[in-house]
Amino acid sequence: MFHLRLFIEYFKQYMKTRLEYRWDFVAQFATDFLFQAVNLVFILVVFQHTKSLNGWNQSEVIFIYGYFLIPWAVFSAFFNLWDFNERYIIRGELDRVLTRPVHSLVQVIMETMSPESLLGVLTGLIVMGYAMTDLHLHWSWTDPLLFLLFTLGGVAVYAGIYIALTSISLYTDSKTDIQPIIFNIGSYGRYPVNIYHRVIQFALTWVLPFAFVGFYPASFLLDQEQWKGYALITPLVGAVYLAIGITCWNRGIRHYRGAGN
Amino acid sequence: MLSIEAHGLTKEFKVYQSRPGLTGAFRDLFSRQYRIIRAVDSINLEISEGEMVGYIGENGAGKSTTIKMLTGILQPTAGQLKVNGFDPHREREKFVKTIGVVFGQRSQLWWDIAVQESFRLLQKVYQIPADQYKKHLDRMIEVLDIGSLLDQPVRKLSLGQRMRCELAASLIHRPSLLFLDEPTIGLDVLVKENIRQFLKEINREFGTTILLTTHDLSDIEALCSRVVMLDQGKIIYDGSLTQLRTMWGGNKKVHLEMEQEVMLIDLEARTDGLGVSWEKRGPRQYTAHLRNGETTVSEVLSRLVQHVPIQEMQIEEASTEEIVRKIYSEGMTVA
Repeated sequence: MFHLRLFIEYFKQYMKTRLEYRWDFVAQFATDFLFQAVNLVFILVVFQHTKSLNGWNQSEVIFIYGYFLIPWAVFSAFFNLWDFNERYIIRGELDRVLTRPVHSLVQVIMETMSPESLLGVLTGLIVMGYAMTDLHLHWSWTDPLLFLLFTLGGVAVYAGIYIALTSISLYTDSKTDIQPIIFNIGSYGRYPVNIYHRVIQFALTWVLPFAFVGFYPASFLLDQEQWKGYALITPLVGAVYLAIGITCWNRGIRHYRGAGN
Repeated sequence: MLSIEAHGLTKEFKVYQSRPGLTGAFRDLFSRQYRIIRAVDSINLEISEGEMVGYIGENGAGKSTTIKMLTGILQPTAGQLKVNGFDPHREREKFVKTIGVVFGQRSQLWWDIAVQESFRLLQKVYQIPADQYKKHLDRMIEVLDIGSLLDQPVRKLSLGQRMRCELAASLIHRPSLLFLDEPTIGLDVLVKENIRQFLKEINREFGTTILLTTHDLSDIEALCSRVVMLDQGKIIYDGSLTQLRTMWGGNKKVHLEMEQEVMLIDLEARTDGLGVSWEKRGPRQYTAHLRNGETTVSEVLSRLVQHVPIQEMQIEEASTEEIVRKIYSEGMTVA
């Protein structure tokens, strides 16, 4: 409860500074939307040349893509850890964070959040809606609930992996280029995994489980029975990876060497 | 009760060394050489509640590393450490509620938001009840004279203004122990004085223990009765400032101007056996060199005044700064 209330306080402060530049919001949404539109065009171009991708038609691929945007947007809004190394390690802000009576990771997340990224959820819903006009999906009453759980699970997978990667900065202040690489691998999760080689399928499921962010849950919503088992363990996979990430972070804090003066 | 209790406190850092040249860099990929640096080398330190202690040392002596261990930022490599009854790193979240921290070179406030919003966030972070918070904060705003700065973002404040806000922020939760790392660095004399006055006041009023690191020894002269001196990770002096002066201050010089001409032999005869040597600078001007620890100024004067009327007198002694410089260049041999 304490963390939630604190989170709201930070959120209010954030909005206060952001509202001074209200056109930024609009610009952010527009650029984000355009960026996703380019990716959509890519999918459309592919389907100009083929009727199906290993059994998936155009609308289904777009649906999966749209679904993926939702956990991705939530993740980017609250785990904006991209410049952690620069800001907290090199400029030494972690020292300040560590003298405050709140868990260090929670503080960093609250200080770096960018809630405007949540607009991406809207983009995702629009893309999904567009795909659904062409698909005849059966929605049961449990589906919205599962949808929520899947989203949280997907966010947790992403968060866990990125927290673990960010923790590397706590051991060394030299820059690592591993984040962009993982970022690229992450985008594999927004296409059906059975179009990839078996090794990649395995890796996307059990090593860097990005398939749980996009594909598995989306295929469940598409009424595909084949991956139902995978889809249902999405929250579990999320919890495990989040736990791994937090463990890495806590161990890293013990190794933290402090900023030089 | 003790505020800080450290025994054998040690912090080691691994420093990786890179070999020269491209081949060297390639070899570094496979095996890296490192050496271990002891930034803080098994120090013992006990500070009682309500004390104001100056922690001094050259750059790289290990001051900041010690402070970071004491504030829970770094985990010690070895040794026991209890601060306010907590293990600072293990029980960090509970512990930091009992301390206040000001790092002069780095802001503790949020850069982009107004000062009062920073204070409000801190109130939530420290979970301070609203009524208590307001009373205490109003008082500090008044004493530190920051009322007019409250609605400005921190990045727009001058260094002196910011420092005063930092102080208020660090005390918002009424900590019993305050760490100040270079609190007066780069400030002008007036602001320095203002801040020293404030620190004295909170120490007197709330009994706040203060540990202060600084390069400006006048801070320590103004505030601290006790000095801890650090060199290469070890404590080389821990005691009162007065004692440091008498031990290391060297000889005192007293410049005298008499009302009439006096003979050198006359002066020497009158102060015989006191450990004073005289130097003649003119027919009426003399300088007495008092050997350290053997005599005092008043003793010398008492022997003279009845017989030799003195017109003017000036005492010259080494400043703390000179003393400290001397210790660092010669090393501490008497301790």
